[in-house]
Amino acid sequence: MARDHLIRVSDLSVTYCADEGMPIRAVDGISLEISPQEIVGILGESGCGKSTLAGALLRLLPPGAKSEGGILFRGLELMNLPEAELRALRGREIALIPQDPALSLNPVITAGVLIGEVLRAHLPLSAAERRQRVKELLCEVGFDRPEEIYSAYPHQLSGGQRQRIAIAQAMACRPGLLVADEPTGKLDATLQSEIIELLSKIRQQHGTAILIISHDPAILAGFSDRIAVMYAGRIVEVGSSAEIFGRPLHPYTQALMRIASSMITSAGVISRFPAIAGESPDPGCIAEGCRFEPRCSERMDVCSQRYPQTFLPEPSRLVNCFKYGE
Amino acid sequence: MGSNLATNLPANLSNSPGGAFRGDLSGVNLLRVIGLSKQYVRGGLWKKRVQVAAVTSAHFEIARGQTLALVGVSGSGKSTVARCVARIESPDAGQILVQGTDIARLSSRELLPFRSGIQMVFQDAVMSMNPCFSALEAIEEPLRIQRKAIGNRQERRDRVGRLMIEVGLSPDWMDRPISNFSGGQRQRLALARALALRPRLLVLDEALTGLDVSTQAQIANLLLDLQAAHQLTYLLISHDLALVARMANVIGVMAGGRIVETGPAEQIVSNPMHAATKQLLASAKTTAAKFAAITGAPS
Repeated sequence: MARDHLIRVSDLSVTYCADEGMPIRAVDGISLEISPQEIVGILGESGCGKSTLAGALLRLLPPGAKSEGGILFRGLELMNLPEAELRALRGREIALIPQDPALSLNPVITAGVLIGEVLRAHLPLSAAERRQRVKELLCEVGFDRPEEIYSAYPHQLSGGQRQRIAIAQAMACRPGLLVADEPTGKLDATLQSEIIELLSKIRQQHGTAILIISHDPAILAGFSDRIAVMYAGRIVEVGSSAEIFGRPLHPYTQALMRIASSMITSAGVISRFPAIAGESPDPGCIAEGCRFEPRCSERMDVCSQRYPQTFLPEPSRLVNCFKYGE
Repeated sequence: MGSNLATNLPANLSNSPGGAFRGDLSGVNLLRVIGLSKQYVRGGLWKKRVQVAAVTSAHFEIARGQTLALVGVSGSGKSTVARCVARIESPDAGQILVQGTDIARLSSRELLPFRSGIQMVFQDAVMSMNPCFSALEAIEEPLRIQRKAIGNRQERRDRVGRLMIEVGLSPDWMDRPISNFSGGQRQRLALARALALRPRLLVLDEALTGLDVSTQAQIANLLLDLQAAHQLTYLLISHDLALVARMANVIGVMAGGRIVETGPAEQIVSNPMHAATKQLLASAKTTAAKFAAITGAPS
């Protein structure tokens, strides 16, 4: 049954155990499948656990983080895989595009060598072959003059160029799945759309599946096939991109879409933006009921009593809200 | 949340020293920048030193209580303008007239009385504050520097508490270290800290960038409320034309260190003249069109 899924996450939870204080459950019982060549967006605000989810998929969580559940990738259960096999997998089968390439690129190594490192770790190529391959990759991510970029250090490149280097690193071994953690977070509006276009092109050419994480609905619009909306460690709604944007079901998604659309239509000075009052709950003290309940404009009595189970108001859509069932 | 409390200001904070900011000067431009230029030197040590012009001959003015937004792509010089206006950089040429007084060439000692009238908020609130500070210490720091942290312990705590309420933070969190605050809360802290000196002009350097969409909306609303409550003047620096077009009265577009187009916000959006403006607008419109196409809303 799960044959056609590239990766299947079932009931994944991640708990950070601090030296003092309560353990914090950053990701709480998440299930999600990604098919080959599919682009899935994770939409959620900072602190909702979306970056922890990305780390958990690559089994790259800091010590002190405990993960439970299952991650089945091409029939392989990643949760029980020894570290040596994981290392062979990371970068080759599943690759990460980090949030801030300024931090992830080694500042004393040139761009060409940084990309070559990934190839050297996974593929038996000669130095000349590797060099040739890196140049092809540089062209692929949109550099007109790969020779110049090859010998440039990260600090000599702009933010957009550095992100392209990080994408070339991730694509070096033609992985089946790219995990992009806020790949446009540090870029300005024009560069954001260029990077999104590049990722679209990569999927088209190589059939790479992409899990893209973002807090900004505008980034995911017209790019992802499906979207999972996360709030306070849990997925609250899943649907196709058209469904989530066109007819959001969860009150949180609905509010988020109202805000996003008020911010991207440049017409007219306004005195107030639509907003959601309050803050997402402190992950250290999560109440029993729906986590969005304190901020929700449509809350009912039942919402504070227990967490809403997953309802399927339509065949392809999952939503955790009592508006859609008891 | 802040607007209804905004009138309960500590009385001893509402006047600035130095005399320059006193009195009603409505109708007069609060800030007037004439021919501002700034060069940086790149290279050195092993490389040849090269002069790079970050800003060339920038002119603009902002009326009291209004918002001027400087927009442009990364590297267009907008942050350099902001830093010169806040005088954390010294411009090479030009005048920065704050209610008629040129502050472009004042020494740091001479600048001190002007500093309370102009405050700056940065994109990364935490990088701009001492990470070991509690909220109380962070908000009170500018008051200490200006030697205005007066009164006994309870009075000082009350004053900081009122500032925290004004920006929508609970005063119960006054003793928490600032590292315990979330991104949006930190930006609120940065605003409380900037407001502590009751400035007339706030320089907001990408103060909404990097925040979640929902937090961005909250902080944008807070800025609009504070402006209405205190007749604050904003110099807003951003790369996001769509967002600032909804908040600014006047927009200046920067490209290659020059302000290439200035005009009322509606005019810039409806009838852009310069290629740089058109390009920024095109990218904003593409995003809006994609969004509208998928949500089914009119673009």
